[in-house]
Amino acid sequence: MHEVSLAEQLIGPVLAAAAQYGGERVTAVTVRAGALQQIVPGSLALAFEAVALGTLAEGATLTVETVPVTARCRRCDAEFEVEAFCFLCPTCGVADVATLTGNELLLASLELEPCESTSSTTSPS
Amino acid sequence: MRVDVVHNVTKLNDAMAQQIRETLREKRIFCLNLISSPGSGKTTILERTLDHLRDELRCAVIVGDLATSIDAYRMAEYAPTIQINTDGGCHLDAAMVSTALESLKLDELDVLFIENVGNLVCPVGFDLGQDVKVGILSVTEGEDKVAKYPRIWREASIVLLNKIDLAPFVFFNRTKFYADLEQVNALLPVIEMSATKGDGVSRFCDWILREREDRLAIRR
Repeated sequence: MHEVSLAEQLIGPVLAAAAQYGGERVTAVTVRAGALQQIVPGSLALAFEAVALGTLAEGATLTVETVPVTARCRRCDAEFEVEAFCFLCPTCGVADVATLTGNELLLASLELEPCESTSSTTSPS
Repeated sequence: MRVDVVHNVTKLNDAMAQQIRETLREKRIFCLNLISSPGSGKTTILERTLDHLRDELRCAVIVGDLATSIDAYRMAEYAPTIQINTDGGCHLDAAMVSTALESLKLDELDVLFIENVGNLVCPVGFDLGQDVKVGILSVTEGEDKVAKYPRIWREASIVLLNKIDLAPFVFFNRTKFYADLEQVNALLPVIEMSATKGDGVSRFCDWILREREDRLAIRR
């Protein structure tokens, strides 16, 4: 399944970032996914939960922010949001348009519990 | 503590795909990544295409399959074929292709076909270092697959509309197919094909020859 392999690719960078910032535990992960990726957020969250078992990110919640599809017309330079996957320039009607956003899949941010804050103290954000 | 990272999840795959692209460029090999649903006729199209190109170009095939070698056996009759079993994985990635390339004699090749795992979603997101993606749809799947899976039609360089001889029997709505494609990617060329009967195969081969020459000329 799509979401499983993406979760497998996600866990590496998540753990690397956690290590880099000295985190003890990852509590939340935010992913930005372009609408063209056709990701099912619930499936990705479930897959991530599975691959995170036994790591610093075990139990972390995963949130997917969907990035809308936008494009730029190569003829008139108009930039527009692509609705219902219609890649025609709304200004001049041509099909020669370049996709600007909508294909990306980014690890955007993490919530970490720092090493210093052991069991007694929890620092919000 | 909130940490902003902004890390491209497919970064590793993208970097490896770029290496493959450079290797193939250096060897002047034109590479096509064939993407479609299961059962659209990828393997039959490849058999016919390999047979047709036999005297003109030296071809090889990398074929991805969840578990079996059925396709590889069929293709091996026409060209050197490397089988990748993904063990249930839904797509090929650049690392798998990179390993498969070690088993091919790249100095004796003009064209490399990669038959991806049958799936219209996942394979699209994984760059394999190909020159072109070929999107295949068979009429039995229904014309609505253009609107449902837009990304492949955005990224493909050509569409093969296969099993066209069955169109009247499955009530394939050609008008809707072309209208939807016009919205998603009006610039995309379409070849109507019946691989089992051989219709459209020579047009696809002509396209490969032309496209290869164009791309190799750019590389000079």
